[in-house]
Amino acid sequence: MSDSPVPAASVVLVSGGSRGLGLSIVEDLVAAGLKVAAFARTVTPELAKLADTEPDTVLAGSVDVTDLAAVTAFVRRTESTLGPIDGLVNNAAIGQDSLHVHTAPDALARLIETNLTAPLLLTRLVLRRLLATSRRGRIVNVTSICAQRGFPGLAAYSATKGGMEAATRSLARELRDRALINCVAPGFFASEMSAVLGSTQLDQIVRRTSTGRLTEPVDVLPVVRMLLTADTNIHGQVLTVDGGSNT
Amino acid sequence: MNSIDPPATVSVLDRDQIRDLMTQVLAAQGKDLPSGESADLREIGFRSLDFSELALRVEDEIGRELNFDAPGLRNIRTVGDVLDLLAELQDAT
Ligand SMILES: NC(=O)c1ccc[n+]([C@@H]2O[C@H](COP(=O)([O-])OP(=O)(O)OC[C@H]3O[C@@H](n4cnc5c(N)ncnc54)[C@H](OP(=O)(O)O)[C@@H]3O)[C@@H](O)[C@H]2O)c1
Repeated sequence: MSDSPVPAASVVLVSGGSRGLGLSIVEDLVAAGLKVAAFARTVTPELAKLADTEPDTVLAGSVDVTDLAAVTAFVRRTESTLGPIDGLVNNAAIGQDSLHVHTAPDALARLIETNLTAPLLLTRLVLRRLLATSRRGRIVNVTSICAQRGFPGLAAYSATKGGMEAATRSLARELRDRALINCVAPGFFASEMSAVLGSTQLDQIVRRTSTGRLTEPVDVLPVVRMLLTADTNIHGQVLTVDGGSNT
Repeated sequence: MNSIDPPATVSVLDRDQIRDLMTQVLAAQGKDLPSGESADLREIGFRSLDFSELALRVEDEIGRELNFDAPGLRNIRTVGDVLDLLAELQDAT
């Protein structure tokens, strides 16, 4: 076992980095001087512009996270373009807004495949390459307040986020000091995913939040950046960024 | 050998048939369904899980699932809205 801290990540792979929180994470990490490879099914103009402006620092790809062959090819492309990956942010996910009894079996399977199976496979892939080359690294899983608190219409989604949090604790035990792995669990914030929430629901969430306001992506960024770059010895934890709605 | 046929199903329920099922859902809770379509669901005590129950009863009758997202449910206010939404869901599947 090494007694030196796990070094800060320098080349970070961000899944779902095309919009919403993922795009903000990409921009923030680039501003902090890291190299970033980001993918989503559709590369948005914002992500494409970033990659065009900073080709030595940012790589963008159109990849479905559930397509393991395409993900593997993008990982290899990242390594040859930006260097070995030593940081991963599992951010890509799809949302849900349907009562469990009215969620079609294929929709349920798609949620689990995208939000649980795919990030576990991506984590496995990145860790295998890290371990095989004697490197150390950092992983951040973007989960959700839904893993800790119940919300109607989000049963399968919550199960996937809870699954990632449980996996994170076990992986921290497996990885010991070779890689730090943690979760960031945001409260609800405005994005394409949460656009389905009605104003009554948003008002209710705000009322239950100690700080009296919804979380914003900008609140989450310093926490993700810290877990990827700072010497903290934080490992296997869930850091909740939700204005105290679960207190 | 005797074969047991599955219960006969119809492909789509009309408004009156859905209304009958809605009456049954409310009756099971000792509530009445007022005539007409303009009654406010809050006033008659028809809640979102009652809509679920009604949708599942419709599914039983038509022999297929009517899966749907929650936002549509948030917009139903009257008995007429319930009948409209279930007609729409049947058309969509
Ligand atoms: N919004 C909230 O209130 C909230 C609260 C707590 C936690 N979160 C979590 O925060 C993270 C980001 O959410 P967000 O609100 O920013 O969502 P968003 O705006 O919907 O963005 C999701 C990102 O994931 C990508 N994605 C989805 N499916 C994918 C797939 N199959 N393959 C590759 N990329 C895929 C999307 O791009 P494409 O669609 O083009 O693929 C997009 O880049 C998620 O993990 C979410 O669960 C969100």
